[in-house]
Amino acid sequence: MFFEWVFKFEDVFKESIFEYEKNAMGASGAFALERGGIVSNELGTVLQLFMRSLETGSVYALAALGIIVIYRTSNLMHFAQGSLGMFNTFVVTYVFLSFRLPLWASTLCGIAAAIGMGFLVDFLIIRHTKKVSPLAKQIITLGLIMVFLGLAPMLFGVDPLSLPRFLQSGDFNFGIASISHNAVLNISLGLVLMGILFYVLQKTKMGLAVRTTASNEPVARLMGVPTRRVTLAAWALAGVLGCLSGVMIAPTTTVTTSLMDAVQVNALFGCVLGGFQTFYGPVLGAYIIGVGRNFLVYYVSSIWGEQIMYLLILIFLIFRPNGLIGKKFVKKV
Amino acid sequence: MNGRNGRNETNDSPLANPKPALWKWKNPYLGFVLFGLLLSTLPLFSSSGLMKSSTLNYIGNVLVYAVAALGLNLLLGYAGLISLGTAGFMGLGSYIAAYIAKDMGMSFWAALTAAVLIPTLVGLLIGLISLRIEGIYLAIATLCVSEILLKSFEQADSITGGMQGKSVSYPVLFGHALNRSSTYVLLVVVLTLVMMLTHSLVNGQKGRALHAMRGSEVAAQAMGVNLLQYRLIAFSLATAYSALSGVLYVFFIKFSYPSVWNLNLSLYVLAAVVIGGLRSIYGTIVGTLVVWAVPDLILKNLPIVGKINGLPYIFNGILIIVVVMFAPQGISGLWQRALPFKGKKKEKEAE
Repeated sequence: MFFEWVFKFEDVFKESIFEYEKNAMGASGAFALERGGIVSNELGTVLQLFMRSLETGSVYALAALGIIVIYRTSNLMHFAQGSLGMFNTFVVTYVFLSFRLPLWASTLCGIAAAIGMGFLVDFLIIRHTKKVSPLAKQIITLGLIMVFLGLAPMLFGVDPLSLPRFLQSGDFNFGIASISHNAVLNISLGLVLMGILFYVLQKTKMGLAVRTTASNEPVARLMGVPTRRVTLAAWALAGVLGCLSGVMIAPTTTVTTSLMDAVQVNALFGCVLGGFQTFYGPVLGAYIIGVGRNFLVYYVSSIWGEQIMYLLILIFLIFRPNGLIGKKFVKKV
Repeated sequence: MNGRNGRNETNDSPLANPKPALWKWKNPYLGFVLFGLLLSTLPLFSSSGLMKSSTLNYIGNVLVYAVAALGLNLLLGYAGLISLGTAGFMGLGSYIAAYIAKDMGMSFWAALTAAVLIPTLVGLLIGLISLRIEGIYLAIATLCVSEILLKSFEQADSITGGMQGKSVSYPVLFGHALNRSSTYVLLVVVLTLVMMLTHSLVNGQKGRALHAMRGSEVAAQAMGVNLLQYRLIAFSLATAYSALSGVLYVFFIKFSYPSVWNLNLSLYVLAAVVIGGLRSIYGTIVGTLVVWAVPDLILKNLPIVGKINGLPYIFNGILIIVVVMFAPQGISGLWQRALPFKGKKKEKEAE
């Protein structure tokens, strides 16, 4: 009797996991729950979901950080963050598949390409747009999207490619839940990277320069802050963050031009959820979306979970129009 | 900029009427009608073999997107409110129209009415939201609505056909089943009507109120402009235009896939508006041409550029960036500067 019940439970659970996996593997491009993990009770499920969500959240957070860095230093909404990341992920995949380099070396190549791309974008375009109206500036990133959407198939072909995970196998077992080594690597990579960045931003002279530029660009320039170099570095940084989030999400799906669409959208939502006034707000928002999305999809509805998440963000925004950590912006008449 | 302060100006049609004689005509609606007549002759060229048949498809596509772009221009140019939800509402319009026309077997008019009205109601809700949320937050909030719709298109298989998409046939009007050319003419007629409607809206009392609201909300309120009412008007109009555009899309292209209605489409519409120039009707149409027709019609036919995969899009991206960098007022701004003494008058007015 008891065993029957256990088996039944396992079946139901596996089915629901499978259902969830199908959904997660779909267009959303989020991380799927792997089957076969040892999950024995509700707490285990929660823990398992939470850790997967952290992995998804890391991807969104890295992308969101790139967006906010550009928003604060160049004063434009970086709609091309996803496309830039997509392009650099293509570079990684191409190097990995064609030159048979190990994945970490390919990723380094991708990062180098990302830095180069970031420099190019700032040097050729953003630098010359001081006089362009704020609205028109956003359109520049759209032009960039088109360029990257054209460049990727031109250089790397139109066939979807696939990229493996950093660590092919291995799980950490906690008894009630398990997590793959690769997921741990992704989560810690995200956290460590963001830790370093926030340390640099808050504690070093370089970070002070960035924060000054972010708060008031003309005054920062008057004070002798090399704002041009700051923006240049910001674009390179955004490129690197985009590339890393692309490499992290790529194994769950195939590397195509629409690889980063979901990441871009969720990173934008993370930004508004956290508020544009701080650097850490969007990161927090991105993690919340990662966690909230997975829990809603799993517990509420695998079909409507994501929509409910977005609806909740919308409702939250109505009550706090400047995001979680946003300060109230007083309009002068 | 056109016809501000209720002046009956005739010069907002310079792009379509390059001949000086036409400017002097007092009635701007005549310009729209001429423009429409000119466009509706294209199927003749296509059927007589002077023009490639696929060209008609591309131009028809441009006309469809031009309707959505005009709506966004109304919202962005006049009311100063930004929306990234265009794609979602276009999709909603297209799916409702397809469902009513195909699955319920009702007439084109019923499909059109329902497919424009239902999204407009959703647009009203966003108008309410826009009282609380501002600037870039509003843009992303509208994107949020668009994404909710997009995910629903993917999931609600029974209505939208899911990832496989939804197909319809060409519309049946007054007992006549239309073909590709006549559907194209229908698009031209609708676009012309929409252009006229837009022109009369923005040059009337509502346009002035929206202008005032964009300049300063507080001043507008002091002058008796009801902020809520006009925000609702602006958003519902923009949404109705996008939904109409979606309906036209589904009846002209005959398919609707969820993957079409994504963020990039909203951004392209936004790009068309900014490139064409805010508050310019003909400018918007030229902007739409630049964004959608240039890569497919011109760049793909160039000798070397067109042969390499992806290169036309790279060129178009660069073209967009260059236009934004060197013509911040859009193409209509360039045009006005190119006309010596008209430009001065415009600049003065803009001050």
